[in-house]
Amino acid sequence: MMKLLDISKKYGDTTHKYPFEPYHVADNFRGKPAYIFDLCIGCAACGIACPSNAITVQLNAEQNKLIWEFDCGRCIFCGRCDEVCPTGAIRLSEEFELAVKFDKSALIQRGELEVQCCTECKKPFTAKRLVQYSFDCLSKANVSQNRLEEAKDYLRVCPTCKKNATVSNFTTGKEVVIE
Amino acid sequence: MKTYEVPQEIKDANALEEKLSLLKHIGRSFSVYRVDCGSCNGCEIEIFAAITPMWDPERFGFKLVANPRHADILLCTGPVTRQMYYPLLRAYEATPDPKLVVALGACGSTGGIFYDAYSVLSGVDKIIPVDVYIPGCPPHPASIIYGLTTALGVMDQKLQKESHIEENEIPSLIKESLIGNTLFERDLLVEAKKLMSYVFGRKLYDKYLDALIKSGDVKNPKATKISVTEAIQTEEDPRYAECMGILHNEIYTHYIACQEEDKISLHRVQWGKK
Ligand code: SF4
Ligand code: SF4
Ligand code: SF4
Repeated sequence: MMKLLDISKKYGDTTHKYPFEPYHVADNFRGKPAYIFDLCIGCAACGIACPSNAITVQLNAEQNKLIWEFDCGRCIFCGRCDEVCPTGAIRLSEEFELAVKFDKSALIQRGELEVQCCTECKKPFTAKRLVQYSFDCLSKANVSQNRLEEAKDYLRVCPTCKKNATVSNFTTGKEVVIE
Repeated sequence: MKTYEVPQEIKDANALEEKLSLLKHIGRSFSVYRVDCGSCNGCEIEIFAAITPMWDPERFGFKLVANPRHADILLCTGPVTRQMYYPLLRAYEATPDPKLVVALGACGSTGGIFYDAYSVLSGVDKIIPVDVYIPGCPPHPASIIYGLTTALGVMDQKLQKESHIEENEIPSLIKESLIGNTLFERDLLVEAKKLMSYVFGRKLYDKYLDALIKSGDVKNPKATKISVTEAIQTEEDPRYAECMGILHNEIYTHYIACQEEDKISLHRVQWGKK
């Protein structure tokens, strides 16, 4: 008995005061992914990386918006979205107070992005911001002015139309010069 | 598949007003019965971490009981496997009305990582009505305590649904390259992440770029060699020190024309000595 008292005296009061005082999580704690809509370019890398499909990036029913949606209830806090996001729009935060009462939809975060339609087939294929971002990247990557002008056009063509154009160029023997 | 339908008398006894009056009465002492509906045991371990003296939830009357007939709150973990479907129902019906059901963990809330597996019903709320959701995989003991105190009304819910519709102009996200070619920065970041994972890789990337800038002339391999070597020697963490050397030898020399002697011979530089 005395031994026990000695031990508890040695260690003192170790109980965390939480929830009456704030609790500080450890370094590099993986809390709720924080989404910054203004940085998101809609590249969907996070949606592909997410192992539990907590993040989905889809066109809406009217095909005029790209919907980025995150369901915190399904997230397993693995950090893959953080790892792949090229712009830092999604970063794991230290937020751990996530419980919600009665209404599950409080766990959901959404963002709606403008879509880019293909200049050939007029079908939507990606987000406008992604096109802008790609052009930005190219313009700082040491490519010539001519190529940049071309890029302005071909960034707005969807992959299927690009493929078709390449095939027809090949089969008709047209020369494409790449500087 | 047709699942359980809550019988009318249980539904009536569990109306929102009943639950709120229960919460008023149990404010200082409530018994929790834990149902493991096929969880991977991660959540269980965190529940037991949460009832240790470190967190001591008996401060606000939280007590685990061994029988659903004594419980006020059902704490359900796991994605509800087919095998645990009936035991969950039995526990639910055995708990006296009105009762609160808490879904713990990603699995309990929505099925989590197992949500589309063949053998699970993905989420407690697909079967019985759930009142509180505590996400996390597994939730931190502090999250569990927060969830339970939120259920009792001691703390307020912080999360709200967020919807962004208005689109603003994105800021220019790409910085000018140090050496006039953003591919250098790209490769550097990729290699840094490959060497040290994304969290520490980003720190490594910043440290290395700082060292490059310190040289004063980033395109001069002689100057950068000196400044990076100095950064390696002063770095306290040996992992960053070695990886900075690797980055310099593999990426920098690839983009700036260098002789063999401009590489840093890592076995000659001493690092991590304090
Ligand atoms: S942390 Fe993991 S599970 Fe959660 S949203 Fe990111 S990738 Fe998906
Ligand atoms: S920018 Fe980041 S958050 Fe947005 S879709 Fe791409 S990876 Fe996801
Ligand atoms: S939420 Fe995560 S830790 Fe909890 S049971 Fe599911 S997989 Fe395991």
